[in-house]
Amino acid sequence: MTDVTAPTDDLKFVQRIRRDYSPLVIAMVGLFVVIFVAGAVFTDDFLTWFNIKTIIRDAALVGIMAIGLTFVTLSGNFFLLSMKEIAALSIICFATLMGADWNQWGAGEGDPTTSALVMTFSVAFLATMIIATIAGAAQGALIGLGGNPIVVTLGAAGLFFGIGSWWSDNLVVSYRRPHGAEWLGTGSFIGDIPNITVAFIIIAVVAELTLRYTTFGRQVYLVGANRAAGRATGHENFGMAIKCCIIASVCAAFVAVAFSGQVSSAHVNYFSSEFGSSGDMTIMVIAIVMVGGNSIMGGYGSTLRTSLGAIFISTVDNMMVLNGFNSGARVLAVGLMIVFSIIVFALVRRGSRAVE
Amino acid sequence: MADQPLLRLTDINRHYGAIQALKGASFEIRHGEIMGLVGENGAGKSTMVKIIGGFDTGFTGEYFYDGEIRQFSGPTAAEQSGIAIAQQELSLIPTMSVAENIFLAGDGVPQVASKGYLARKAKPFLEEVGLGHINPLRATNRLSVGEQHLVEVARLIAHNPQVLILDEPTAALGETDSIRILDMVGRLKERGKSVIYVSHRMDEIFKICDRITVLRDGESQEARAAKDMDVNSLVELMLGFELGDMYPERKTIKRTEPVLKVRDLWPDGILEPINFDIYTGEILGLAGQLGSGTSEILGAMAGSTKSRGGSLHFQGKEFLPSRPKDAIRRGIAYCSEDRKYDGLFLGRPIMENMSAPALEKISKNGILNGARERALATENAVKFTVDPKRLPQEAGVLSGGNQQKVALGKWLSIAPKVILVNEPTRGVDVGARAEIYQILRELADHGAAIVVASTDIQEITNLPDRIISFYRGVQIGELALEDMTSANILEMITDPFHEAGIAVSEKES
Repeated sequence: MTDVTAPTDDLKFVQRIRRDYSPLVIAMVGLFVVIFVAGAVFTDDFLTWFNIKTIIRDAALVGIMAIGLTFVTLSGNFFLLSMKEIAALSIICFATLMGADWNQWGAGEGDPTTSALVMTFSVAFLATMIIATIAGAAQGALIGLGGNPIVVTLGAAGLFFGIGSWWSDNLVVSYRRPHGAEWLGTGSFIGDIPNITVAFIIIAVVAELTLRYTTFGRQVYLVGANRAAGRATGHENFGMAIKCCIIASVCAAFVAVAFSGQVSSAHVNYFSSEFGSSGDMTIMVIAIVMVGGNSIMGGYGSTLRTSLGAIFISTVDNMMVLNGFNSGARVLAVGLMIVFSIIVFALVRRGSRAVE
Repeated sequence: MADQPLLRLTDINRHYGAIQALKGASFEIRHGEIMGLVGENGAGKSTMVKIIGGFDTGFTGEYFYDGEIRQFSGPTAAEQSGIAIAQQELSLIPTMSVAENIFLAGDGVPQVASKGYLARKAKPFLEEVGLGHINPLRATNRLSVGEQHLVEVARLIAHNPQVLILDEPTAALGETDSIRILDMVGRLKERGKSVIYVSHRMDEIFKICDRITVLRDGESQEARAAKDMDVNSLVELMLGFELGDMYPERKTIKRTEPVLKVRDLWPDGILEPINFDIYTGEILGLAGQLGSGTSEILGAMAGSTKSRGGSLHFQGKEFLPSRPKDAIRRGIAYCSEDRKYDGLFLGRPIMENMSAPALEKISKNGILNGARERALATENAVKFTVDPKRLPQEAGVLSGGNQQKVALGKWLSIAPKVILVNEPTRGVDVGARAEIYQILRELADHGAAIVVASTDIQEITNLPDRIISFYRGVQIGELALEDMTSANILEMITDPFHEAGIAVSEKES
């Protein structure tokens, strides 16, 4: 008749933490804090303004992609294994259009005007976003129709990479400076805070607000928590999968544009070999979603967790760089963090009643 | 001595709020006897078992055990006196070894014991329950469900109980595991133990029980020797005649114009297209056994089950919902029989469960209105007597009865005109059952049309105003209120064509 659970109200903060989170999670968060503090104490130059800016800027590119992917994961559609291939196709598309003759606006002689640069950038940016939207929608539709997300996105990964590679002849596509994308790649409007960092923060805040306070966000959680019950209450996974995959794809394309703006060029392998500590963008992004503690099965987690996961991984990476570890050791550290958090959250879920 | 019962309860009363689960019920068991305890869902079996096992102490009446009157403070006290209870839900630790689970309570073994020692100690108990072939060091979750049930019993036997209560031990088991359980019960009897065997399976009851106590609507019948009864007379005892106050009073219904007409609906799993009408203010019952097609009909009406064709005439429109959303938008709510599968978001707060079908109602331009959501969820939670303070909690922590109330209560958020409910009270305790019946009746009185499908013969006899019966995917006929007796309904859902070999007794409830 009555349940043996304590009423919810009037609990102290510590009690609420203990009620809402399992000891394993508390222990893990505690361990992370210890690592962070210890690293800060024993690493010179760690707590400097310059270094903190570096950490967040490093977190920004992978973080934005991971925030997009979080929507897919929360809605119970697992991961897009094609994240880096979407980015690869997008960067080729963007760079090609940036350098295309027909897309050079204004007078032919001398330095281009600002408005001409804005036009060039806008055309390339919009086209890239449209392609990414189509790529996301196609994958989402296949997943929503019942396709296995792993199979669908692995297949899509090959497809996108192939298109990008073919289009660029597998060569580096470069374009002249000034080109109108520097502001996103390396520029900063607010003091010396890079614009990409600002973009990361804005996207993180908007994503979190969307999940918490919009109908769409609620649907993401409901469909992710129980797809059958979601359908029964009028929230079909089909539309949800499409929307979430579009969000993830657009985020990947945005990152591709920002990265291209940094280096004024593009190559299909940028996100496979020359990026981040572990080299492979897809693995990094999935690692961030996992380390943030989002449920792989969906329905539980947030983009706030993902953002913190991105900053955490970036912090550890930065600490290891400052202490002179080579890239192999840093890849190992990221791998350990993923394994550790997967194990912890798997154990937590096994013990929880929610997944009976 | 042999005639004096080992355990005797007399004149037991137990109230849950306004509901009386046990009304002056009595129960006794002798040394070395296997006593069957049977009754329909909600007859008070589980309440009786809880009282005997010391879980429920809020009863009045006399509890006599082993020569004196007892008052157990809790299950541990009862267990120490030799009364052990194996419940339907397993209470083993899946990751620990079988031997560790058997000695979980820590008595009878030293504080520090090697795994080998535990295994050696555990072996005889495992042999006792017919699991001698199992390595005691195996992790428990590597065993089959049936084997895990047997391990649970082995753990109880390790305490050397005098009375063992088995609460539907075979409900979740296949044939071979069931046989193991029955064999084990027989061996216990040979060793002079008393066993209380609670089951829905008639064949098992007659196979192993010496005497049978029937509970009906909270009242007990005199225990009778199993060999003096047959399945038919036992079923008769269980069903009884009129059922009391659990079911709300029915008002006279004026049936003028149907609110919803089902025309040529042909769901998968049904042999031929079906037609029927639903009127405002009535509860229509779809009676049928498991597999008779009633679930498919409700599912098809709600758009969650595929159908080959047909249409619904509702509010001047003709349509066939192809997905639940179509039905919800028109004000048709459907609560399926499996709340864990598609009725609840167990990992999400109760509040989000309550408002899930009505997100459009609690939002404006896609932005959720927290205050409106809280108000709506609170209002409906109160209607279903779910404590509004619990709204932020996960739905998964609720008891079965409260989960069912949330699964059903969430539909009030769309103010439905038609409510389709499949098995409204499956796995729900007696108190919540009565509440659910009461609410369904109130909704009908306030102008909703309700369709209930149920395989529970008492429920289908006493709740609806009208019944349409189904048998193996065929619509058999309709019973008006005055013809709705258990006997009539039983005949219509078990043997409508008077075929040979299908007896009333084979009814599965």
